[in-house]
Amino acid sequence: MSSLGFGLISAAVLAIATVGFTMQFAVTNVLNLAYGSIMINSAFVSYYVNQHGVTAWVALVGGVLTGAIASWLLNRFVYTPFQRRNLAPITVVIVSLGIDLMGTFGLQAIVGGGFVSFTQNQGSEYHFAGLLLSSLQLIIIGICAAVLVGVHGLLKYTRLGKAMRATSANRSLARNSGIKTNYIISTTWLISGALCGLAGTVFAMNAGVFEATSAQLYIVLLLAAMFLGGPGEPYGAMFGAITIGVATEVSAAYINPDYKDVIAFVVLIAMLMFRPFGIFGSEKTN
Amino acid sequence: MSVELSKKGQVLTATGLAAGYDGRAIVSDIDIEATPGKVISIVGPNGSGKSTLLKSLVGVVRVLDGTVKVGDTVITNTPSEEVAKIGVGYVPQIDDVFPPLSVKENLEIGGYLLARHEIRGRIDAVLEFFPKLKAMMSRKAGKLSGGERKMLAMGRVLMLSPSVLVLDEPTANLAPIVATQLLEEYIRGFADFGSTVLLVEQRAKAALRISDWTYVLGGGRVVLDGAPDDLAQNPIFIESFLGGGAATHAPKD
Ligand SMILES: Nc1ncnc2c1ncn2[C@@H]1O[C@H](COP(=O)(O)OP(=O)(O)OP(=O)(O)O)[C@@H](O)[C@H]1O
Ligand SMILES: [Mg+2]
Repeated sequence: MSSLGFGLISAAVLAIATVGFTMQFAVTNVLNLAYGSIMINSAFVSYYVNQHGVTAWVALVGGVLTGAIASWLLNRFVYTPFQRRNLAPITVVIVSLGIDLMGTFGLQAIVGGGFVSFTQNQGSEYHFAGLLLSSLQLIIIGICAAVLVGVHGLLKYTRLGKAMRATSANRSLARNSGIKTNYIISTTWLISGALCGLAGTVFAMNAGVFEATSAQLYIVLLLAAMFLGGPGEPYGAMFGAITIGVATEVSAAYINPDYKDVIAFVVLIAMLMFRPFGIFGSEKTN
Repeated sequence: MSVELSKKGQVLTATGLAAGYDGRAIVSDIDIEATPGKVISIVGPNGSGKSTLLKSLVGVVRVLDGTVKVGDTVITNTPSEEVAKIGVGYVPQIDDVFPPLSVKENLEIGGYLLARHEIRGRIDAVLEFFPKLKAMMSRKAGKLSGGERKMLAMGRVLMLSPSVLVLDEPTANLAPIVATQLLEEYIRGFADFGSTVLLVEQRAKAALRISDWTYVLGGGRVVLDGAPDDLAQNPIFIESFLGGGAATHAPKD
């Protein structure tokens, strides 16, 4: 039962991260494998703000801003110039992998190899639907719910959100309709980057102790959750994240903790083989 | 036409135009003019560059040489979002809707440049024109039939009341009766109202029937142009498009 509880919290963290990741991929067409390293860099910024006597939940704002700005800069100065050269899309993916390594090990060079943790009260414990949850865990679930509702509302009901979906579905036609797609894409980097920074900080808080390389394999979970739910689908991301989060934690508890990421890998490969557009996603018709 | 969907037109001209992909010209030496109140059509075999030509006019494909103008405004290589803003509405041959968006959302995106309070009224006007769409507002565009989809594609572009309509094979996939209606009532109607219509149409006979002037494209160049009545008598045109000898009289009866 406790592994199910753990699974639920990891799933909530993963859902926050996946919602940003899937939005980024769908609108910008960049499979940004550096997402995990931006998460952990953002977590460290939050951590340093926190070390200067700021409450962890306020310090989190620093992480959110770091994620947003770093992602925007990455697009502006790395991905966009590469895309302009009309190279095969795989080129940008490989570049992003390089950025991920640089981001992670660059951070490690700066902060050193040791584990750190937020100065934060775990709060009291609550019984909730048969699970024992700390207030930290309840807040994470609350943030996750707020992010899902917020992103859904953005995409479904706002002018910006509809333009983002139109840009994702057919960029050329979006431009023919008067949408400045470059602006929409930069804005998407800011929003999805903010979610990345938020996810990174929450991930580190939930982990308790963390180091520069803590999120290094997280990209596997993100990819699995995204493809499970269908790229670009926020509710799909939530479904994918819960499935992956619970499956990995439960398998860690009952089989062997070493198999955690392997389970995610198996799900990812199975999805790519059988339903590359996800459980909910539909094939883009042309 | 009960609802005014388009605006009085402006002249669309291309002079000495060359355009193509990756710096390689697909169409060249193109001189065409589309004027208000007229339907100007482009016909030509598959791969002759009809779509490439239209795309270069609206900023989708790079112009390598020459000038494109709307009225007195030079729009050569103007980004397509700006071209939309000055009143040129373009319906591509393929990928003409946003499949994951609902019909309503497709129309809303069509009206992206309008003020929020104008969008509803415009959607109502477009629906009056294409009443079939009314029943499928919440359906995803990707789930429409070919004909419904074409109506939506036309509806989307009409949201901005364009003064120049650039249409790439709007009748493809349509049942003959619907295609005829679209061409002879709606598209001819836009021109009669005063808009400028530039149309690519595969079926030469249908094109001649509603056009005021027709350009024939071959190998990326204009090989022939003229008024429909003259083209219908032209042996070369008859040979290549009207199925040799079959049509010895003007299709306009
Ligand atoms: N994106 C592209 N990149 C490179 N070449 C292209 C591209 N699109 C079209 N072409 C080439 O340009 C030529 C003209 O194509 P285009 O689509 O303009 O023809 P078309 O007259 O519209 O044909 P159809 O009647 O089949 O629609 C073709 O040889 C085609 O292969
Ligand atoms: Mg074509």
